[in-house]
Amino acid sequence: MDIEKKSESMLEHEILSSPLEMDPDILAAEQNPSTPLRDSLRRFAQDKRALISLAIVLLMILTSIILPPIYQQIGPVLTLRHGFLHAKPSQYHTPWFINNESVDTGPSSLYWLGTNYLGQDMLARILAGIQVSMIVAVLVVGLLDVGLGVLFGVLAGYFGGVIDTVLARFTDLIFAFPGLLFAVLITGIFGQKAIEIAGNNGMLILVSFTLGLTVWPQMARYVRGQTMQLKEQQFIEAARTTGSTSLQIIIRHILPNIASLVVVAATLDISGAVINEGVLSLLGLGVQPPGSSLGLMINESITNIAQYPYETLLPAAVLAVLVLCFSFIGDGMRDAFDPRTKD
Amino acid sequence: MLKFLVRRVLGLVFVIIGVTFITYAMGYLAPGQDPIKALLGQHYTAIAYHNLQVQYGLDKPWEIQYLNFLWNLLHGNFGLSYRFPGQSVNDIILPSIGVSVELGLSAFLLAILIGIPAGVAAALKRGKWIDTTLMGSMLFLYSIPAFVFIPFYQVLMDILVAHNLPYLPVSGWEGSISYKIAPVVILALTNTGYFARITRTVMLEVMGQDFVRTARSKGVAERSVIYIHAFRNAMLPLLSVIGPSLAYLVSGAFVVEDLFNIPGVGYQGINAVFNRDWPVLQATVVILATAVVVMNLITDILYSIVDPRIRVS
Repeated sequence: MDIEKKSESMLEHEILSSPLEMDPDILAAEQNPSTPLRDSLRRFAQDKRALISLAIVLLMILTSIILPPIYQQIGPVLTLRHGFLHAKPSQYHTPWFINNESVDTGPSSLYWLGTNYLGQDMLARILAGIQVSMIVAVLVVGLLDVGLGVLFGVLAGYFGGVIDTVLARFTDLIFAFPGLLFAVLITGIFGQKAIEIAGNNGMLILVSFTLGLTVWPQMARYVRGQTMQLKEQQFIEAARTTGSTSLQIIIRHILPNIASLVVVAATLDISGAVINEGVLSLLGLGVQPPGSSLGLMINESITNIAQYPYETLLPAAVLAVLVLCFSFIGDGMRDAFDPRTKD
Repeated sequence: MLKFLVRRVLGLVFVIIGVTFITYAMGYLAPGQDPIKALLGQHYTAIAYHNLQVQYGLDKPWEIQYLNFLWNLLHGNFGLSYRFPGQSVNDIILPSIGVSVELGLSAFLLAILIGIPAGVAAALKRGKWIDTTLMGSMLFLYSIPAFVFIPFYQVLMDILVAHNLPYLPVSGWEGSISYKIAPVVILALTNTGYFARITRTVMLEVMGQDFVRTARSKGVAERSVIYIHAFRNAMLPLLSVIGPSLAYLVSGAFVVEDLFNIPGVGYQGINAVFNRDWPVLQATVVILATAVVVMNLITDILYSIVDPRIRVS
């Protein structure tokens, strides 16, 4: 009996001090106790495709912010319009400056990526276009999709009742407008007005607003479903019995638990927002000249695609890379945060 | 079943009324020049203005206008064009419906024919290079929008023409089938990727279930396990995704119709925006939204026939 006990404890000791314990992974895990968030981040960090995409997107965004001020310092003073206009690079390296003596040129030391049919700088326009895509993505997804979606989703899921019914009806209504139809309707009718009021900024806000209006119900649906599931769980019940108010429960227990779902869904929605802004601008319903947007650049050059294919293919390719990268990031996030969906 | 149907149809009616109201309100609130004045142009006289206003029903208060709008809709009449005097919206929009349906339906069939087998193949070869390659390319197709493919296609055709190689037209619709190939293929690309990805996920889920294991363990041939046991059960969740896609394909073809100059509903809708022809735009929206809602209803009904449990919940 005694021996048995002893051997048992020895065995235990042996297991505890076995080489397994010295495994660096486990040591690291002990120093950083594994939390769901850390696990997810680790899984994401192992996804090469998503990481490369993230790096490319960050590089593109940084370039679109840092390069223009530098680019506008580089270049000689041009003498244009028979000597009537002396243009500095800070003028002609902008997205809107029209140099009609240098139209449809390919890349050169003066215009790094050439000029378009009006003699506008392609590089400056592309960088401005990337910025537009990002602004729309932030406004649509960051503000409306996440903001409204989470707010109404949580309220509908947690309290049910009237809010839930209204949300369901509104969602049905919005889903009846397929794809871009709602955005085409609104930007088509009110676009002119928005431009009159606030120029291209007004147009950007209108475009973002209408695109946001069409995506948030989907987000609200996800959040609502998740909230309803959480609400039934015991830890919420425990919180309620210890006297937490509904607001406290939502802030402390529900929101942290739906965060990963929201982040993943929002990342996946970014590509959609970028594409849709591109489509609206392409159809002539988004950003208007002399402003710039990747979709608008395609719109402006596609009629001359036979002579100058480069002017259309370049913005199209930039947009494709942007969209593809966001798709890969979103896909990677979903696999990392919700491993169940990964087969 | 009857109760389920009635509830769904009531929901549909609510949505369609909502859609017509939003569409009507947008046209009513539209800023810009008075449409009747725009229509008359230089021929403006107070009497002509009044006559036209009565003819268009714009002299009445908005709620009466809306009811008239609804009443005319019920009779399949979308009113008169603001842009083309004497033309009804029906003359403009009805011929385009057939074009859009043809384009959307062809793209839909193509996407199913390629997407679903690709998804099944990827699921069966899970983790192998076929799976990785297929799913990588499907994600590519799914992510890249049509308007990026179209310029590349046009440039490709220019190159083919320049080298005296056989090529396809880059614009137009009516005429030989060669006009239809490119728009249909390009419109189908996104959905092909989408269907393939969904099919793979659903197939994998079904293949992991007990009845598949049972079928295998009792010695059913692998081929029958896949096609009779697994695939038939995977059809169900697929149906709920694929049904609504048809409506989206018919209606989401703005870009393809615009860039290929195909006179479909989307094309007419965009033209109406630039012509400030609100009745045509309203007709476009109502037709497309109704198509979506009705397709969703049909999907639901099919679904509830295939899987009676749905009706209860």
